[in-house]
Amino acid sequence: MIENIKEVKKDELLAEVKKFADAKARFVTAVCNDLGDKLEVTYFFNMSPGMEMHGLRMTVGKDEEVPSTTGIFLTTVLIENEMKEMFGLKVKDIAIDFGGHMLLAQDSPVTPMLKTGAAGGKGGE
Amino acid sequence: MPLMLPTVIRNFFGGYATRLYPFKDVREPFVRARGHIEFDENKCILCGNCARRCPAAAIEINKEKNELVFNAAHCIICEVCAEACNKDAIRVEPKWRAPFYSKPVEVHHPKGKEKAS
Amino acid sequence: MAPRTVAPFGPQHPVLPEPIQLKITYEDEKVVDVVPAIGYGHRGIEKACELNEYPKNIYLCERICGICSCIHGISYCEVVERLWPIDVPPRAKYLRTIWSEMSRTHSHLLWLGLLADAFGFESMFMQFWRIREKVLDLLEMTTGQRVTQSISVVGGVRRDIDDEQKKKCIEVLREVRKESEALINVLANDYTVKARTVGKGVLTKEQAIALGCTGPHLRASGVKEDCRMQGLQAYGDLGFEPIVEKDGDCYARTLVRCRELLQAIDLQLEAFSKMPEGEIAVRPKGNPPANEAVYRAEQPRGEVFYYAKGNGTRNLERLRVRTPTYANIPSLLVMLPGCELPDVPVIVLSIDPCISCTER
Repeated sequence: MIENIKEVKKDELLAEVKKFADAKARFVTAVCNDLGDKLEVTYFFNMSPGMEMHGLRMTVGKDEEVPSTTGIFLTTVLIENEMKEMFGLKVKDIAIDFGGHMLLAQDSPVTPMLKTGAAGGKGGE
Repeated sequence: MPLMLPTVIRNFFGGYATRLYPFKDVREPFVRARGHIEFDENKCILCGNCARRCPAAAIEINKEKNELVFNAAHCIICEVCAEACNKDAIRVEPKWRAPFYSKPVEVHHPKGKEKAS
Repeated sequence: MAPRTVAPFGPQHPVLPEPIQLKITYEDEKVVDVVPAIGYGHRGIEKACELNEYPKNIYLCERICGICSCIHGISYCEVVERLWPIDVPPRAKYLRTIWSEMSRTHSHLLWLGLLADAFGFESMFMQFWRIREKVLDLLEMTTGQRVTQSISVVGGVRRDIDDEQKKKCIEVLREVRKESEALINVLANDYTVKARTVGKGVLTKEQAIALGCTGPHLRASGVKEDCRMQGLQAYGDLGFEPIVEKDGDCYARTLVRCRELLQAIDLQLEAFSKMPEGEIAVRPKGNPPANEAVYRAEQPRGEVFYYAKGNGTRNLERLRVRTPTYANIPSLLVMLPGCELPDVPVIVLSIDPCISCTER
């Protein structure tokens, strides 16, 4: 089990992230999980200074739009772009949008990290 | 520059830091270094422990043909196969495999089972 | 207004051993805007880890990065151990600490050499790499290989260090310390080095935290944060104290790494003297249970974040790796604008970029 994880709704996300920004926390990373019909996104923050970590977890449908946190933490640019192209998470208004080609090329498989995508080591089928 | 001077002087008179490779031999590998693996056909019984655990899928076992196919170019010399082998049929040698032009595939015909029976 | 030029920095550039492209907009010789473009080295390791059985992933995770490969392997084992959880024998903890610090030593020596190379101090570069070779020899002697050590397994480590090797290690490490001190004296006090690094790429404490920087990069800006402070492995017993500098420029980052290099050697020597006897590994029972865990370790480049989710089978449901450079790249967007063209390589190098690591 991971300690200090708080479930949030999609609409509360920005307000909760803002609280961490006000508390001078450091953004660690976000983890996206494929739960079958839904996506689970967990944002991790480190309470600086010190090594205590807190998390925010939200569960969204695969076709729901989620707000971008890049307005609060610029550093989430990379991870949000990655979740967008690897899992098809629909993040809107990312500060620097790579258009789904940050890590993947034009002819790469689409959303390969989903459980149905690129399975069995066969590549982009 | 003056701070670097002692090092510069030492470099001038200190001799070589590297080995003069083509004229002198390379350093001997350490005793327990992982260089390459070798199979002992007399001990292997084709149980498949090594093939199942190999992270690089470099070993293939074909029981019908009594064959063990080892793909040396895939091998990452992690020593997992040697640890998994119950019959001590896999040995890790410290010497590196020489570079190759075409990828070598070793085919072994183990005799361990016949000996045991 | 002067005309603006857009010029790519990388993916092939003498100071970058690995491919990253920075699209830099210049106004005369002054940088005004930076857009990073990554994606040249993506290998899909996270996906491959889901398809592989969990013991095989150790060797895959070690290949995320060549320089910090040992700590990647250890961190993967630690995060999977937390799923059960498994308690590792104390001697294995010490051995993991020793090998982690040994990789930190060789990584920092490598970086100091590359820094010297970036501002054209070639002979310094050679000297650092000459010393580094001794540390790599130690790694080969104790683990069996120079680069991908494959030393950690779930439940412990695979090899022990015997008394003869221990004696040899201590002797060589003392030698390395002495030689590094002499070179660090040059690097830290030479006026040409200072001219190229002092006041370049300044990042304040607030900026560093807001941008989520990690590792020596963060500590150079005056934030006392280091994953070794968690006291995991043997760090709790060794009295570890993070190294912090205040200025947040390239020179401060160099100093942090210089001092960490010496500290890493001291930690190894101390760990050798305190190492308990006993078992080096326990066997895990069954498959990783359906559970999730996170683990953070301090790599030479900063904090590495591992997240694992098991589902009761031999395969993991999900593995996520956040490498230090991934967190440090956004800081370039703040540090580079405003600097001069010749300072770009030094500033980019000062975050110790490891791009293949970043893209996994």
